[in-house]
Amino acid sequence: MGFAAWLARRIAYAAGLLAAVAILNFSLMHLAPGDIVQTIVGEMGGASEETIAQLRKSYGLDRSFPEQLGIYLGRVATGDLGTSAYYNQPVLNLILDRVPATVLLVVAALGLAITLGTFLGVMAARFPASWLGAVVTIVALFGFSAPVFWSGLMLLLLFASVFELLPASGMYDVAQGATGIAYALDVAYHLVLPAGTLALIYLALYSRLSRASMLEVLGSDYVRTARAKGLSENKVVFKHALRNAILPVVTVAGLQLSAMLAGAVLVETVFTWPGMGQLAFESILRRDNQLILGILLLSAVLVIVGNLLTDAAYRFIDPRIKTGG
Amino acid sequence: MSGPLLEVEGLKVEFDTWDGRVRVLDGVSLSVSPGETLGIVGESGCGKSMTALAVMGLVPKPAGHVTGGAIRYRGEDLVKASDGRMRDLRGNRIAMIFQEPMTSLNPVFTVGDQIAETARLHLGLSPAEARKRAVEMLRAVHIPEAERRVAEYPHQFSGGMRQRVMIAMALACEPEVLIADEPTTALDVTVQAQIFDLLEELRAAEGTAIVLITHDMGATAEMADRVVVMYAGRKVEEGPVDAILGNPAHPYTQGLLACRPNLQLGHAAARPQLHEIPGVVPPLHLLGRGCAFADRCPRAMPRCGEAFPPAYDVGESHAAACWLLEEARAA
Ligand SMILES: Nc1ncnc2c1ncn2[C@@H]1O[C@H](COP(=O)(O)OP(=O)(O)OP(=O)(O)O)[C@@H](O)[C@H]1O
Ligand SMILES: [Mg+2]
Repeated sequence: MGFAAWLARRIAYAAGLLAAVAILNFSLMHLAPGDIVQTIVGEMGGASEETIAQLRKSYGLDRSFPEQLGIYLGRVATGDLGTSAYYNQPVLNLILDRVPATVLLVVAALGLAITLGTFLGVMAARFPASWLGAVVTIVALFGFSAPVFWSGLMLLLLFASVFELLPASGMYDVAQGATGIAYALDVAYHLVLPAGTLALIYLALYSRLSRASMLEVLGSDYVRTARAKGLSENKVVFKHALRNAILPVVTVAGLQLSAMLAGAVLVETVFTWPGMGQLAFESILRRDNQLILGILLLSAVLVIVGNLLTDAAYRFIDPRIKTGG
Repeated sequence: MSGPLLEVEGLKVEFDTWDGRVRVLDGVSLSVSPGETLGIVGESGCGKSMTALAVMGLVPKPAGHVTGGAIRYRGEDLVKASDGRMRDLRGNRIAMIFQEPMTSLNPVFTVGDQIAETARLHLGLSPAEARKRAVEMLRAVHIPEAERRVAEYPHQFSGGMRQRVMIAMALACEPEVLIADEPTTALDVTVQAQIFDLLEELRAAEGTAIVLITHDMGATAEMADRVVVMYAGRKVEEGPVDAILGNPAHPYTQGLLACRPNLQLGHAAARPQLHEIPGVVPPLHLLGRGCAFADRCPRAMPRCGEAFPPAYDVGESHAAACWLLEEARAA
C-alpha cells in the first residue's frame, strides 16, 4: 500500500475515533455530578429558583441529553468548541494558546526518554559485564517506582532550592522580556526540570526495553553476518543491531503517548508550566465543562497524531511493513 | 603457492557452561589449498560450525575460548592475531556463508547496501562504485534483474535467492577462502543443486578455496576433493573423497555412509533401505577418556573406552583414528 492511500485510510479512522471520543466525553461529563450553574450559584452565595432556571436555560442545560449531545456534536463538527464559562473566551483559542507549551514539554520528554533510555540500554547490552548494567537496573527501578509528582517535587527541591541551578516554575523569565534566540534559550532552561521529570519514568522503561531487545538482536543471525563481514563492533551494534532493536521502543513510545499526556497534567501543575495540563487541572476545579471537553478532545487529537507519526516512523525503520500490510 | 592456504592444527575450543567447562573442539586439524574444496561432515553437534567460527575469529564471547592449537592463514597464526587484523581478514580474505539464509540477512537494509557495505569496507570503494559492485555480484550469482533487485529488501527474496545474496556478499571482495556452513540445509532439493552448481562455478572461475560443511554425503561426493569426518569435537577420519566414500576406515564414517539413502536399488518398487547409527552423540561434558563413538560403535572393544586412538594411515593421505586399525595392522 502506498503512503498516500495509507494516510487517507488512517485519517478516516481518526475521524471516526474522534467522534466516538467526543460522544463518550460528553456523556461522562453529563453523568458527573455538578455543573457550571451550580458553581456560579455557589460563587454568588445562592440564588432564587428562577435565576437558576434562567441560568440553566442560557447554558442549554434545560434540554434533554440527546438534544444537548446533538447540539454539541454539531458544533464540534464545524470546529466550534464552545465558550469557556470562566474565561468567557472561545475554548479553541484558549487551548491553542496552550498546545505549544504542552507539545514542547511532551516532545522534549519523549525525545530525552527515547534517546537517553535507548543509549543506556544499548550500552548495557554492548558491555554486559560492566557497571552500566547495574546503573540501568537501578535507574529503571527508581524511575518505575517513583510517582511523577513526588520525583518532580524532589527534583524541584534539589535543583531549584538546594543548588539553585534551575528555575522552579514557569516557561520563561518575564522580567527578561527576551526575544529570538535568547528567548528560546530561556525556554529551554525552564524546560529542563519539567521535561526531565516527565522523562524519568519513560527513560527507565525504555532503557530496560532497549537493553532486552538489543541483547536479543545481538544474538541474531544477521548480527553474526555483520561480524563475519569484518565490521567493527561499534558498527555492528549501532548500525546493524540498533535499527532492529529500536522497533519495540518505538511501538511502546507510541502506545504510551496518552499516558505521557496524562503525566504532563501533573508535571505542568507541579512546575506551573503554562500548558494544556495545567489548564485542564484548573478547569476541572472550576467545573468549566466546555473547556474540559475541549481539552479532552484536543488531547485525543494529539494522541491520534502521535500514533500516526509512530506508525509512519515504523514504516520508515522497518521496510517489511510497506509491502506487508 | 605451495602448501596450504589455510591450516588448522590441534585446535581446541572450550566453553564455560552451567555444567562446567566443556571442550567443544579437541585437537581438530585440517588444511585447504587454493582452488580446493574440503568437505567437513559429521552429525549435528559435532563441532563443524564451531570450527568455522574459530577460523573466522567469531567463537561466541565471553563463554567460548580458543584454548589451544593454531589457525594459520598463509603462515600467519590467527589465534594470536589482533582484533583489528581479524577484522581486516574477515569478509575480505576469508569469508563465510551460513546455514540460515532466511535470517542471516539484516531485514532493515536493502540487499544492495548489505553487499556494498563489505566492498566499501575492505576495498575502499566509493558509494557509487560499491553499488555497481553489488549489482555485478548479484549478476555473478545469477539473480535476474540485478539492477532492480539490488534496491530490494531481504523479505522480498525467496530462501534460495537469499542464499545467493549471501554468497554474493561473501564473494564481493574475492576472498581466498570461502567457508560454507551447510549452505543448503534450509532449502528445497532443486534449489540445493543450484546453489552447489553456483559454488562449483565460482570456484572454477576464481580459484577460491572452499570449506564445505554439510550433512549431505551426496553433496560431499559431488563437490569435495578431500573430506574430514568429525565426531564429538574431534576429527576421526580424513582422506581424498573417493577413499572416504569408497573405502571408509572408521566405523563412524561407515555408519554415516550406510545412512545415505541409496536410490538405485534395482527394483523400482523396493523401498530403499535406510540405516541409522543407533544412539546419539553423547553430551560433551560427559565424554570420558576413550573414543567418544565407543558407546554406539558396533565393533567396540574394551580398550576403546580407555584411551582415544591415534590416527593411523590407511592409504595415500588417508588416515583414521580407530583402534581397529592397529589390530588390523598387528594381524
Ligand atoms: N554458546 C555455547 N555454549 C556451550 N556450548 C556450545 C555453544 N555453542 C555451541 N556449543 C556446543 O558446541 C558443539 C558444537 O556445535 P556446532 O554448532 O559446531 O555443531 P555442528 O557440527 O555445526 O552441528 P549442526 O550440524 O547442528 O550445525 C555442540 O555440542 C554445542 O552444544
Ligand atoms: Mg552447524
